[in-house]
Amino acid sequence: MSHSTEIDSKQAWDGGQSPFGVSYGKMMMWFFLVSDALTFGGLLISYGFIRHKYEDVWPKAENVFTHFPFIEQHLPLAYVGLMTFILIMSSVTMVLAVEAGHRNDRKKVTIWMFWTIVGGATFVGSQAWEWFHFIVGTETGALRHVWSQELGTYVEQTVYGANMIVNEYGVPQFANYFFFITGFHGFHVFSGVIINLIIFLNVLKGTYEKRGHYEMIEKVGLYWHFVDLVWVFVFTFFYLL
Amino acid sequence: MSEFHDDYPSYETLAHHSEEEGKKIRKTLWRVFWYMLAITIFELVVGSMAPSKGWSGTLGLKVLFIGLTILKAGFIVMAFMHLGHEKTFMKYAILAPYIIFISYTIFIILDEGVYSGNSQNRTTVDPLLIKQQQDLKAGHGHTAPAGHAEGAHSEESKH
Repeated sequence: MSHSTEIDSKQAWDGGQSPFGVSYGKMMMWFFLVSDALTFGGLLISYGFIRHKYEDVWPKAENVFTHFPFIEQHLPLAYVGLMTFILIMSSVTMVLAVEAGHRNDRKKVTIWMFWTIVGGATFVGSQAWEWFHFIVGTETGALRHVWSQELGTYVEQTVYGANMIVNEYGVPQFANYFFFITGFHGFHVFSGVIINLIIFLNVLKGTYEKRGHYEMIEKVGLYWHFVDLVWVFVFTFFYLL
Repeated sequence: MSEFHDDYPSYETLAHHSEEEGKKIRKTLWRVFWYMLAITIFELVVGSMAPSKGWSGTLGLKVLFIGLTILKAGFIVMAFMHLGHEKTFMKYAILAPYIIFISYTIFIILDEGVYSGNSQNRTTVDPLLIKQQQDLKAGHGHTAPAGHAEGAHSEESKH
């Protein structure tokens, strides 16, 4: 810790420094996030392409996601709004944990990490709930042309809910992309919760107290904010547009 | 405290700050949170008003939503992920690829998506789409034009 001074640019050419003045672990986390963002970028781009192609038959999210737990009413986008709020909120608690870590305040780190985990777990649960209603569908269903393997042609039949082949709400591609992109994002949130939990246990054990710094909180924080960042885009492109 | 190179500066502790500084940082973070909450609520209100006012799918609405999304993304990356406080070169090493990548992909999606969505180009290769357009015209289910779909279906939960 004796060298914890600002690095000036003249010294930088002498070697013995980390590029950009960040630690190895943080740098590698950024590298991972850059590549992961490209994966999500690729998924959203292919979604945008298909959506433009089927512009006239693409379902409107306001007509698809209308449920809210415990309230039997037509509430378009209300629940996904709440989910977004929960995820943004857990991002705030995460960044407060990082801030507390910079002051070596173990108690505050513990509290904020705890709320971050609660927020993340709530979000994953909400997503499962949303998927469930999307898959089950409405009571009335909708009449759709469905490919029949035996007849070798399209036949009309009433369809309930959405799966990978048929979709009550509109084109099957909508359900395919919804499952893939929100599923991939949901898996990220799930792994984020697990990672946060491991770090939380380490905080309780006092691992970082002994180490003298809480940079690990900052590194998992980067991942957690990234998950929030992706959701901001998914929310816009799936639910708002 | 670095395990492998003892003569390296200890980057892990460079970000440490005092209680007074922490107070200022927390104030900024909460302000960013309120901004993001306000943007999200605004988006939801506009999004749920759009169908009844006939705004759905208009170019202005799309530009508004995408603009606000990028604003929110900026808040997250710059404030929450502290990229704003990193070295300039580090900042652009991460951001520049996306600025180029996003502009290119917006162009290519619009161009190619519109081309393959053009009825002359697509109907010959996509029999399912023809069927789906028939479903749409027949007014079955949720793809019925706005106004028809509104309130036409009772969407009470089964549970």
